[in-house]
Amino acid sequence: MPKRFDQARPFLTLGLVVAAWLIVPTVIKTFTRASFFELTAPVSVAASYARDLKEYWSLRLRSNSELIEAGRDLARLNASYDLAVQQNVEMQGEIARLEAILRLPSYTGYRSEHARVVRRDFSGWWQRLTIRKGKNFNFTVGSPVVFSGGVVGRVSEVFAYTATVDLISSQTVRLAAVVEGDIRPMSYQGGLNPTFGSAGGVIEFVPLDIFASANATKRLVTSGLGGVFPPGLTIGSVIKVEPSTDGLFKSGEVKLDDRLAALTEVTVLVPLESY
Amino acid sequence: MASDDRTLADRSGKLFESQKGYDPRVVFFYFITTGLLLLLGGGLAYQQLLRGDLYHDRERAQNQRRILVPGPRGNIYDRHGELLVGNRPRFAVVLYLDELRSHFRTEFIRIRKNYRETGDQELPTAEQLWTLARVSVVQSYLEQINAILGRDLKVDAGRLNKHFARDLLLPYPLIEDLPPADYARLIERLPVVSPLQLYTTNTRDYPHASTASQTLGFVGINEDVESNNLSGSDLTTFKMRGSIGRDGLELKFDPLLQGEAGGSIFRVDPLGYRLRDTKAVETLLPVQGKNLVTSIDLDLQLTAEQAIGDQVGSAVAIDVRTGEVLVLASKPDYDLSKFAPRLNHADAADITARGAWTNLAISGAFPPGSTFKILTSIAGMRAGVIDPAEPLDHCQGSIRIGNRTFVCNNDRGRHGEILLPGAIAQSCDIYYFAAGRLLTQDRLAAEGRRFHLHERTGIELPHETRRMIMPDSDYKERVFGEKWFPGDTANASIGQGYVLVSPLQMACFAASVARNEVHTPPTLVHRPNAPTLKTESIGLTPAQRSALVEGMVLTITEGTAKALNIDQFKIPGVRLAGKTGTAQKTVTKDGKTGTINLAWFICFAPADNPEIAMAVMLEGDTIGEEFGGGRNAGPVAATVLKKYFENKNRPADQKITPFKVE
Repeated sequence: MPKRFDQARPFLTLGLVVAAWLIVPTVIKTFTRASFFELTAPVSVAASYARDLKEYWSLRLRSNSELIEAGRDLARLNASYDLAVQQNVEMQGEIARLEAILRLPSYTGYRSEHARVVRRDFSGWWQRLTIRKGKNFNFTVGSPVVFSGGVVGRVSEVFAYTATVDLISSQTVRLAAVVEGDIRPMSYQGGLNPTFGSAGGVIEFVPLDIFASANATKRLVTSGLGGVFPPGLTIGSVIKVEPSTDGLFKSGEVKLDDRLAALTEVTVLVPLESY
Repeated sequence: MASDDRTLADRSGKLFESQKGYDPRVVFFYFITTGLLLLLGGGLAYQQLLRGDLYHDRERAQNQRRILVPGPRGNIYDRHGELLVGNRPRFAVVLYLDELRSHFRTEFIRIRKNYRETGDQELPTAEQLWTLARVSVVQSYLEQINAILGRDLKVDAGRLNKHFARDLLLPYPLIEDLPPADYARLIERLPVVSPLQLYTTNTRDYPHASTASQTLGFVGINEDVESNNLSGSDLTTFKMRGSIGRDGLELKFDPLLQGEAGGSIFRVDPLGYRLRDTKAVETLLPVQGKNLVTSIDLDLQLTAEQAIGDQVGSAVAIDVRTGEVLVLASKPDYDLSKFAPRLNHADAADITARGAWTNLAISGAFPPGSTFKILTSIAGMRAGVIDPAEPLDHCQGSIRIGNRTFVCNNDRGRHGEILLPGAIAQSCDIYYFAAGRLLTQDRLAAEGRRFHLHERTGIELPHETRRMIMPDSDYKERVFGEKWFPGDTANASIGQGYVLVSPLQMACFAASVARNEVHTPPTLVHRPNAPTLKTESIGLTPAQRSALVEGMVLTITEGTAKALNIDQFKIPGVRLAGKTGTAQKTVTKDGKTGTINLAWFICFAPADNPEIAMAVMLEGDTIGEEFGGGRNAGPVAATVLKKYFENKNRPADQKITPFKVE
């Protein structure tokens, strides 16, 4: 065999593989991709457990006094949370009573499912998270994902033991939002975010009488009208609005919570009817 | 052959062959080749350099399409910045058909295959199959919407085909005018990247429904949106529907209110589908039209319309100083919100049946009745036939003019010897019959023309009537071929007979008298620093002017408008000067012909330093009914004036801040 041909063989092989991949039916490609993800998922999950173990051992190295102090803080936090839970129960009862009087349709009920973050998608890590629960916890595509600071995003793919979450900084996530204290819905969508920069989004169809600036921000929350997210969850802060040239609406920018970049645990709200 | 052999023989035995350099026959081909190359090069140069632009234009025309989107119209405000007409968004869910080419083709193949497999002998034509495929694909997208919104909508095949054929690049609306809740659901549930998208258009918004409806006017559909700023006027262009003023201020100020259209230019394939994953070649955002700040005072307008109520008539109020129209009310009117997005046939028929299209303030021409006596008084004083200090005649309740007997219609009594102020206050017809006889019709008509009562006021509204008449003595001969009689002059002197004016003209006349001038050009445009009008003086002596104003004040305090002299209408510290009038109009109602009364009232206030002038005209609705200026029209004017002075005297912290629009 000529030497020149031997040298070209790798390229030829690559070309053949690429050509073969191009003509493979979409079903097979999808299956291959899903299978690959399922096969590699245990590795990611194992790595996640290893990280948890590492954190556990790092905590074990703390002194007893530190642990006691942390335990006290935790006890206080738990007490305050217990109080908040009780108040919430009372408020929910009051809301239910008022809704019944006004004959308002009830919002979708959710089951909260906490999940550890396995990894972030580094090709655009503001955009996607992989979490350590999936079909085994009856997660469904589209389920809202939240954390203590508000909205995280929506479940975009569900696998056997993992699920992928599109963050609200992603351009593929769109929500019906309202400015706190207002009832007129507007459209929130993730923006074009730099990989390691602060995350943001854009709002459109903002009524003309809403004003906000970097010095006088407005809290943007979920409207609850879209039927996916419960109302009142924080999306971010409106830092800029400006009228569009057509004079009908304003559009603006939203600054998202910086903690989105460092989430280790999120809560998936599983709609009760899908459970 | 022998020659070839020889040549070969000559060359044999040499170490190298030699070629003959320049064979004449070869040179000939050089020329031919060079010529052909030059021809080719020239042709290429010709095509590239000289015809390049042509081919470029053809390529553009074939591969590019232009979409025009109209800009929203400007807003219309009242003088204090209250929004009279704005825009409201209309949310729609649309489908971009030009992104579904492969879907249509796949569906076409599937349907054709199904037909073939069923062995159906009557296979639809290709065009029918394409229609089925399009409907099927669009319905599949519509089902997504149905599932989210809980609806059961079906695709209209005819509408879809029409849109496909004419407006392929424009979004195809699946549902229009979505309520906010549905719009919010679709925001969250529709995929972000999809041919199915949420779309906003706009339509006119009328926060005050029927208020000043005929003055504000309405808009219609504009199929021919144009843009001077987006290039590609030579390209095939798809136009979104815009709006164009059809009546009122919307029509008159259409060039100002009309927004600047924006749009995009896209590349398309030979079948006209937009090329996927390509950005627009050019994009221009639409720009909202300019805002219009009118002279209308919303509060006064609402007050006037409320005071007129269900009656037929009109009320006009004018700023004496500037001629700005504060109120231009006409009843019956129509609800402008029914025009957005478009008026249906039933509502249009209802407006027609009620006669509500007509703006009576500017389009109606009516005999002014006794309000015209102010003009007769002025003409008489200027001509020297009326001396305010001397009685003109002895009112015995009737007078013989020519071969006709004219009676005094006011108070049905005898006013005796009466001076000008009393004649105005009591509206004594006999006094004015006598004045007219002495004055002559030509001098009366000339005075009317001096006050511009014979022509349009020039207000910035369409359809102002041309039917106003200020007849001179040859008018009857000219129009009817009949002789002018002294009785015709008598009728004209009290604002009856052939005299016709519009309520707006009478309001302008009142404003002119208030300023002691002869002309008040009205305007509906508010100019915060408008100068005071300055036109020709009426030309009365101070004594004559004083007598005229005194007569108009007495009208309110003890004359024909004394009904206004009650607490309900009194304005503390403000003296009102006015004149009532009652004219007749022949109508046929329920098969019965007769006359109905037209109740008039003109006025200005304060009498000593006038700020606002008004004219009110109401039509009685029953033949033979007692319906008069003092009793019916006066209260409307008094209510508006009271509101005007209440607002003016309101503490500074409660006043509406005048609005500024760039």
